[in-house]
Amino acid sequence: MAMRFYLLLASGVLYAQQVVAPTPDPVGPARGEDVGNYNVTNSFETGYRFALIGGDEAKYRSDVNYGNGIRLLGSSLSVNSKDGHGVFYDQILLNTLGLGNDPYQSVSLRVQKNGLYRYDMLWRLDDFYNPGLVGANLLDQMDTQRRLQDHDLTLFPQSQFKVRVGYSRNDLTGPALSSVQEFNSAGAVYPLFQNVRREWNEYRIGAEGEFAGFKFTVQHRWDFFKDDPVFSNAGGLTQFTRTNPYHGASPGWFGDLFTNRKRWGMNARMTYVGGEGNFALNELASGISAGAAATQQILISGNAQRPDLAGDLSLNFYPTDRLTLVNNTAVHNMRVVGDSNFIEFTNPTALSTSVNFEYMSVRTVANATDLNYRVTPWIGFYAGYHYSDRLINTIDGGAVTGPLRDFAYGRSNHLNAGVLGVQLRPIKPLTIRLNGEVGRDNQPLTPISQSSYHILGGRADYRTRQLQLSASYSQVYNVNSPSPLTPFSSHSRDYSANASWAPTDRFSLDASYTKLHLDTVSGLAFFAGDALQTFPTIYISNIHAGNFGAHLGLAPRVNLYVGYSITKDTGDGRGSAVLPEATGAVQTLFSSVQTFPLTYQSPLARLSIRITPKIRWNAGWQFYRYREEFGLVSFLQNYRAHTGYTSVLWSF
Amino acid sequence: MMPSMARTARTALVTLFTIFGFAGLAGAQTTSAGYIGSNVCKTCHADIWLNFYKNPHAISLASGKETPARTGCEGCHGPGQAHVEAGGGKDTIPRAFSLLAPKQVLETCLTCHAQDRSKANIQRSDHTLNNVVCTACHSIHRSPTPKYLLAKKQTDLCYSCHSAVRAQFELPSKHRVNEGFMQCTDCHNPHGTFAPTWRMAQRPPMVEQALGNKEACLKCHQDKGGPFVYQHPPVFIEGCETCHFPHGSTNARLLRRPVVFTLCLQCHNGAGSFGPRNSGETRLSPAHNLLEPRYQNCTTCHVRIHGSNSDFFFLR
Repeated sequence: MAMRFYLLLASGVLYAQQVVAPTPDPVGPARGEDVGNYNVTNSFETGYRFALIGGDEAKYRSDVNYGNGIRLLGSSLSVNSKDGHGVFYDQILLNTLGLGNDPYQSVSLRVQKNGLYRYDMLWRLDDFYNPGLVGANLLDQMDTQRRLQDHDLTLFPQSQFKVRVGYSRNDLTGPALSSVQEFNSAGAVYPLFQNVRREWNEYRIGAEGEFAGFKFTVQHRWDFFKDDPVFSNAGGLTQFTRTNPYHGASPGWFGDLFTNRKRWGMNARMTYVGGEGNFALNELASGISAGAAATQQILISGNAQRPDLAGDLSLNFYPTDRLTLVNNTAVHNMRVVGDSNFIEFTNPTALSTSVNFEYMSVRTVANATDLNYRVTPWIGFYAGYHYSDRLINTIDGGAVTGPLRDFAYGRSNHLNAGVLGVQLRPIKPLTIRLNGEVGRDNQPLTPISQSSYHILGGRADYRTRQLQLSASYSQVYNVNSPSPLTPFSSHSRDYSANASWAPTDRFSLDASYTKLHLDTVSGLAFFAGDALQTFPTIYISNIHAGNFGAHLGLAPRVNLYVGYSITKDTGDGRGSAVLPEATGAVQTLFSSVQTFPLTYQSPLARLSIRITPKIRWNAGWQFYRYREEFGLVSFLQNYRAHTGYTSVLWSF
Repeated sequence: MMPSMARTARTALVTLFTIFGFAGLAGAQTTSAGYIGSNVCKTCHADIWLNFYKNPHAISLASGKETPARTGCEGCHGPGQAHVEAGGGKDTIPRAFSLLAPKQVLETCLTCHAQDRSKANIQRSDHTLNNVVCTACHSIHRSPTPKYLLAKKQTDLCYSCHSAVRAQFELPSKHRVNEGFMQCTDCHNPHGTFAPTWRMAQRPPMVEQALGNKEACLKCHQDKGGPFVYQHPPVFIEGCETCHFPHGSTNARLLRRPVVFTLCLQCHNGAGSFGPRNSGETRLSPAHNLLEPRYQNCTTCHVRIHGSNSDFFFLR
């Protein structure tokens, strides 16, 4: 049993992602220790993590960001009452990841007493360098932290009447791109970073009840968002200050009615959220604007409201044991309204303008009918017809200067789609699935929306206890070309093959290969100098991704894991940023942005030695290498990093 | 152990268990529908029983209020009397999950779990339509995960079928799923969801909306959600995927193109009758000479590209 449990863990490692720590190898008895009426399992992995980085460290910190220092790499605690009748609790589950100073940290806690309460908490932190700009000297040089936490308390979780209370919080601190731009004497624009203070809090309370086979859920929530940036700078300007607070609230209701009977089932849902945002902006600047001396003050204040109503009704029918029929109707209505007042004073004349709010509403009605029929134990199929209808209404707001616009527009479109799938199981370990979808949209919103598309896919899985093989293929073709200028078409084709072999408890292998192909043709219109250019452009990405992992039990106490992952985008196969046949400035520019070949690879190795039944020593190394074939910007952002750790995993 | 000895031992065990099991059965348990109680099962299946108190399904046993048909081993596997009388064997278990058709597995689990709101759409989920049912992802007796009885760690479980998604999460710019900061279920509900309310209600499948019917991305990126005086329509009509790859990308900020202007100008070319105003998406003005580098990165100036309260062109 224990060995089988360990094998399961080891099998998990095989499919695992390429992150070297914490160590997944188990230590100590899986059954834990009995303490009174409780069983306790407990483990801590603590150690030192290091990183040696060469090349573009800022890019490394955007992509990976592991650093140096002592960490509590992972921990796990479980306390379970053996008879389910604990005094204050019956279960405690506590798991942590990366505490100390890792860039990715989490704490998960569950405490529950059977029949009385269940409390779940999840706290997470993501620390990364913020790629402030895209494509123009990326400026990955700013440290940003996002913290998320969720608390949920359920009272009487096993009864027919439950009460749920919850709280969530999400805050973002650190520099982010501001909307402040400074100009030099030549008129060049420089956007500036500023410290953001964004915070979102949500409070919720609800109840669930069951009566006569129906379950009813109701929940009310209050959420509050605020963004209070303050910026002051006198770099290229003689004076610049800006305050730009934005405070929003989205109180909402949620209701759900559900039942499931032998021959039918029903689920009805309704949500209403009345979102509102209040904002102000006060900006004072004097100095150079686009190369000329200027002084201006801008005052903006107002509010925005977005009432949002959504309803769904799902009806399930089970006329025979082999047939399931499901119909879902969804209605969604949302509109954005409010008021805004814009006042701009310029030097030497003052201009004051009131701006009409830009009204927008979207109403979507969708209906889907899906049929799932199992003909025999080894063959079944499903088919579906999906229809959706959308109406967008817009009333333009006014411009800052010039005559106010007050035009109303309406846009309606329909999408019809059909799906078909077959499942085959000719022998027990082998499963084959084929699926397809065809859709038509009569008036897509954008040139790149799904318009005339089809999807084809298939996968085959062969799974036994020791050997797992799978292969899959999926393609999505979309054509959206109502005019010669927008010959948009997008083709994606994904292929993958996987093999996993675990002949013994002490040896297992995993390998996979995936190819992600994307080619897109689209029509662009722009000015080069004074001349309008219309230019079809193609973007090609050919990503080849390989994974390999091997788990070896070198000795009864010694485990070794080696892995390697590589991602290589070969683009369109060219060897230089600009194709030789590109002539002229425009073609040269477009030639250089039609593909972005790069290689990203990461080998790793981890050694884990069981010193005593309750102590394991681990050491690991992981290398990251990022290499652009030719830079999109004026320099290559390549980096390489040796990371590693050594740790002790202790169970007591 | 020799095969004959094994047979003898198994026969002796079955005999003992039959005698003592039925003796216990004659006391507290009822056999009216062939139910014998979990105490009998543990005689042979001690390895499963030993840690079963840690299993969420043990809660119904601890309550002592449930009928045999809704608790313990027989709550899932069905009445065990025939299995006992036959001396074991999978064929004699009314609901041996490894022998059940996918639909039967689903129906058995939904006997209790249908009442969970998170599974309200399971009958129309892509997983169910493709015969990927409960036991494909959950291991009831040998789960290595602390919650939800998953057969493997969640990412490993999802990746075991969705290998293209795994490749996407190994690209340089990605959401931190492999690093443990996020999980697939932060955005997806593997048990099926209501129809999405963006992108013509068809895509993407199995993405769990936020309560306000916002796209899942806005659960964390609330600052992009508004409401704004000036909305960038694709953000809340077509969805974030219009410009971003949600899993991973070779491009910064998960963008679909490495250079920004090629992304923006795909729509903003003024052609056709696209856009909410039916007149084509706004084309660049002559003031934007694209040969100048400062105009090639649109978001250098249009910094509030997701929506602005103070500028029609998202400049501020």
